[in-house]
Amino acid sequence: MQVRVVFSGRSYDAAKSLPGSLALPDGAAVDEALRVLAELMPEGRSLPKSCLVAVCGAHLGTVGSHRAHVLRDGDELVLIAPVAGG
Amino acid sequence: MAVNELSPDELARYARQLGPGVLSPKGQLRLKNSAALVTRTGGMGGPAALSLVTAGVGRVIVAHGGPMISPDLNRQILGCEQLVGGPRMPAFAEYLRTMNRFVAVEGIDHEPDDQEALELVRRVDVVLSCAPTFDERYRLNRAAVAAGVPLIDAAQWGISGTLVAVDPGRTACLECVYPEEPEFEKDFPVVGAISSAIGALAALEAIKILSGTGRPMFGRLWMIDAYQGISSIVELQRRADCPCCGAARAATTTS
Repeated sequence: MQVRVVFSGRSYDAAKSLPGSLALPDGAAVDEALRVLAELMPEGRSLPKSCLVAVCGAHLGTVGSHRAHVLRDGDELVLIAPVAGG
Repeated sequence: MAVNELSPDELARYARQLGPGVLSPKGQLRLKNSAALVTRTGGMGGPAALSLVTAGVGRVIVAHGGPMISPDLNRQILGCEQLVGGPRMPAFAEYLRTMNRFVAVEGIDHEPDDQEALELVRRVDVVLSCAPTFDERYRLNRAAVAAGVPLIDAAQWGISGTLVAVDPGRTACLECVYPEEPEFEKDFPVVGAISSAIGALAALEAIKILSGTGRPMFGRLWMIDAYQGISSIVELQRRADCPCCGAARAATTTS
């Protein structure tokens, strides 16, 4: 199955190295998608534990602590690294 | 003291924002009888405060300490070349006053601590958190939740930004979204145009809430990534174990 990936927020430039979609086995969970994405991050970069995780607009938590969720073909996985700024 | 009607001069001032699809006369009157706190008033908070003042929010309290430095001028639109090296706040507040004689502007020349934040929040009807650090954002979030006052959290990095609207006790608070303080650099990169955009949208949410116009985005996070040309809405979930607004906290504070 294919899952769309959106990575934004702080250091969004890292998204340049990430694919816009992931091919995953049917029934894969969010954790599997995060594991694959972590391997695709540029050298020396990682997905922040505080990164917000959502699927199709539904909030699951953060990379470090989120609800288990099984992905479906066509889902959109959104990762937002927290920003502050003033 | 609440007033019951707008003067002819006020109706003339706000003529372009009164009518179908914008504010009703009753909504405009609600704005006049409302108060808002904006902290800080830099890249996002400055445009936010300006938008609240020009829209006619009756009392706007702005807080920001420290002197202006040259790099601030890429985004802090309440400032100007003549202020570099000097304190921001007296000039920022005075500039805002020049933009609308029907509005009271109160300037605070420092960042409020926990106690002062709570006291300020209790004096207003909405809080716009436009602070550069998560420490300050959590402080305003805690104060807003404790006082039961709606909070708009505006944040930015680079050419992107986020808005979170919190209806205390009913929708996710900032600590529900970010349970642990995220890493964030003091000298973050930012292009001023995104600051103004996010600040203006934060003000718009506040105006909607205060005037009863449209549908506020309570319980949502809106991410605007102008770098990639994308935008996302996330329907936020409250955390039962949130130390700020969760059920455990409520049980503790009411026992």
